[in-house]
Amino acid sequence: MSSYSTSARLSRGFKRSIDRDGFVRQLDLVLLGAVALLLVIGAFLVSASTRDWYGSQGLDPNFYLKRHLINIVIGIFLAAMTAAVDYRLLRAYTPVLWGLAVIGLIAVLIPHVGDTINGARAWISLPGGFSVQPAEFAKLAIIVGMAMVLAEKRDGEKDPRNIDVLQALGVAALPVLLIFVQPDVGTILVVSCAVVAIIAVSGAPARWIAGLLLLAVLGGVAAVQFNILHDYQLKRLQSFINPQADPQESGYQLQQARITIGSGGFLGKGLYKGPQSNGRFVPEQQTDFIFTVAGEELGFVGSTGIIALFAIILWRAGRLARRTTDLFGRLMVSGVMAWFAFQFFENVGMALGLMPMTGVPLPFLSYGGTSMFATLMAVGLLQNVHARRSWN
Amino acid sequence: MKSNNQRVRAVYLLFILVFVIIAGRLIQVQGVSAAAYASRASRELYQTAPLAASRGAITDKDGVPFARSIASVNITVDQQLVLDPARAAEIVAPIISLPVSTVQSRLTGDRRFAYVAKDVTPAVWKSVKEAIAAENTKRSYGKYISGFYSEDAFHRDYPAGALGASFLGFVSASGHGGGGLEYALDPVLAGKDGSYTYAQNGGGQVIPTAHDVLTPASAGKEVRLTIDRDIQWVAQQSITAAVKKANALSGTVIVMEPATGKILAMATAPTFDPNNISKATPDLLATPAVSDPYEPGSTGKVMTMAAAIEEKVVTPTTLFTVPDKIKRGNRYFGDHDKHATWKLTTAGILAKSSNTGTIQIGEKMKPSTLHSYLTKFGIGTKTGLELAGESSGLLSPVDRWSGTTAPTVAFGQGYSLTTIQATSVFATLANDGVQVKPTLVSGYVDQAGHYSPKSVSKGVRIISSETAQKVRLMMESVLSDEGTAPGARIPGYRVAGKTGTANRIDASGQYHGYTASFIGFAPAENPKFVINVTIQDPHGVHFGSLLGGPVFKEVMSFALKSYHVPPSSQTVTLLPMNEKEMKALAAKKSQSETKTVSKA
Repeated sequence: MSSYSTSARLSRGFKRSIDRDGFVRQLDLVLLGAVALLLVIGAFLVSASTRDWYGSQGLDPNFYLKRHLINIVIGIFLAAMTAAVDYRLLRAYTPVLWGLAVIGLIAVLIPHVGDTINGARAWISLPGGFSVQPAEFAKLAIIVGMAMVLAEKRDGEKDPRNIDVLQALGVAALPVLLIFVQPDVGTILVVSCAVVAIIAVSGAPARWIAGLLLLAVLGGVAAVQFNILHDYQLKRLQSFINPQADPQESGYQLQQARITIGSGGFLGKGLYKGPQSNGRFVPEQQTDFIFTVAGEELGFVGSTGIIALFAIILWRAGRLARRTTDLFGRLMVSGVMAWFAFQFFENVGMALGLMPMTGVPLPFLSYGGTSMFATLMAVGLLQNVHARRSWN
Repeated sequence: MKSNNQRVRAVYLLFILVFVIIAGRLIQVQGVSAAAYASRASRELYQTAPLAASRGAITDKDGVPFARSIASVNITVDQQLVLDPARAAEIVAPIISLPVSTVQSRLTGDRRFAYVAKDVTPAVWKSVKEAIAAENTKRSYGKYISGFYSEDAFHRDYPAGALGASFLGFVSASGHGGGGLEYALDPVLAGKDGSYTYAQNGGGQVIPTAHDVLTPASAGKEVRLTIDRDIQWVAQQSITAAVKKANALSGTVIVMEPATGKILAMATAPTFDPNNISKATPDLLATPAVSDPYEPGSTGKVMTMAAAIEEKVVTPTTLFTVPDKIKRGNRYFGDHDKHATWKLTTAGILAKSSNTGTIQIGEKMKPSTLHSYLTKFGIGTKTGLELAGESSGLLSPVDRWSGTTAPTVAFGQGYSLTTIQATSVFATLANDGVQVKPTLVSGYVDQAGHYSPKSVSKGVRIISSETAQKVRLMMESVLSDEGTAPGARIPGYRVAGKTGTANRIDASGQYHGYTASFIGFAPAENPKFVINVTIQDPHGVHFGSLLGGPVFKEVMSFALKSYHVPPSSQTVTLLPMNEKEMKALAAKKSQSETKTVSKA
């Protein structure tokens, strides 16, 4: 096998892909553009929220930016892989994907394998200072797994039976249980949203949707009633209701978040010029509270722009879901859309004081490798379905 | 499939609702309330810290400091930012040499500002910062030990320790004068604190911005005293030894330049170390030389003599019949020792310190005349020395005097004065009758090092120069063999003085114990120094001559030598003290007249 023939094959493949009906032409370029813009903005915000502080501590001011850019590059590579393999082939590998996710979630719970950060045992350390969050990949596995179960056998024929819905819920239940043990409430909420969306779109009887929503409410009440929640989770809830309740930690974070966003005003202080952001009055600024940096430095104009980009992404995903005739593809797209939507709303809502505090990153913007990989792979999935869709 | 699309549309609607809510909230936070959030942001961003002004030094007459300010650091804490007080205390306590439990309690609580340690050296603060930084490298973000700040301060240092403490005073914990000159001159010494408005980050560290506002502190002025450090030292040693030897309550020495009112030394024993005031009892922290009045006793007789001579009712050689006891009103007044009735001159009465003789001299004037002279000499009026808490002494108005008051006052009892007032009386006699306000301050040095002398107050004439000289000559007899203080003589110099052994009113208001004193000046013909030695409540020997005399002699000898005062060029012919000496003098006179006649 000469290297020449390999590269020739690759270049032929590339040529074909940019042909009129080629793969690249079939991508949703609007979605791609919105994601790319968010990635660029995110890189600036991660840099703006860490550069001055880490510089002033005598550390490398670009430490976070460099790692963030590496994460983006790896994420784009993973997304390209996800988009390249025909998603219908993915069905065959779905059980393997799901199994790997479950193994990862079990591994993270084993002492000395999983690391505890901010009260959750959610990270597996890798050499080179990197770490992986299996729960982020589990989101993908659950969505693809449920879509497979609900689309099986009866593509486009009729609505799923109760047994199919139960099977699908079973696919979600085991990973959710494992995430609950960590515990990572934010991810559970994201997954729950995706589960409800997939079941709703699958055409399952309305009683299932009503039942799941009821279950969520009862579960929430029970969690508070029977002391299942950790202290810090209760405190976060309390400080959401009354910001003065815990002025040192979560209440402080929420207040600082709003002060930082509010002080940005209409046009903002300018990138890298926000004194609150440079002073890191909001902890976890480059991850869960990245929106506050946008609020202060880019102002109302900038934050509205970011929100608009998310609206475009959700619009394109919704459009794709409606138009795809293939049920498997449509269910995956719906799940991803619900995931992005809820995570966006929870993160921005938390920064604005509309939602209680849970640690979820803002897709495409927040610093954090696994989250970046998973969200970009999800985008790859959307493109995959878009490129190979059979339009309605 | 239709129902599925409806559901997708329902999800769409939900999204639109979510976006509307977020947009609305964004408009509220960044539009409507933006100004309020911005002002909250700048409030937590900008902090104003005081900049302590450097306190001016207090120096001796040559500019060598008695008190100076050394840069130090107060370590403060925002208790709300200390997430792990136990660990923080473990790190910080050994560096600032305090028990861990003490530090931990200072770090624990809700106060945004509290002191951890005051007056540490800048090096200690640097070590604290480094130790915390080293700990933080082991911690993740959000778990950092933070909340420690520094405040620049100044530590008051007294390089000479207890020397001069009684007039220097001390600085209280607030950084302001708590006593003595430190208190009285605080407006000059303290300067004006500045302020520094700066931006800080979420961890409380200062971040440089263009909005920093610095109002510099203006340093206090240096105060240069009139004190001569060497005389002060000798005076302190001498009075400390005398108080100890006499087992006395306390003692004070004042050395003053009569021509200028400058105080060259003011030493009190016992005293305190202003570097360590916590060890001193409150009464030690006072300045007894100006704050504690007492009855002068026989030293007060010089005012009676000066008044009578100035009023020309007696001359230094007027003869009196002096019994050891006389009755005035319903009361007997006696001399210190029993003696046969003497025939003494005015000078002899002063030299022997006879109470009965002085009463007779006083009676040559109306009580109101005696009262007015005492008032002119300054009894009942503060001298105006630059020390707070000065007492004016007590002299009751003449219309309230009873039949025994005037005789009592004549020999120095029944009224009170302070050591500084008594010194001033003798300085007036030494300065040919002109009273000069006593002063401890010779001038001020500003930040640029420019010295401006304190304006000198003009003297006030109290008695004529002739009267002053006559009284001084009379006072030289006090140190004669016949006088009360021959032991205070200094070879080579003419010395004048007066002893006092007064009945003392103790803390309960009863006469109990004595005030022993010797006040004198030298050289008597042109006095350079007045020295007052006053010892309160000695036990055992209580005579002013025996207690005050040696201290006077020691300090005066040192001062004369130290200032290279030339010895007196001629020996003095003392005034006749009694009838016998008067007759001898008259005989000598007529003899010499006869000789003159025979020659002619």
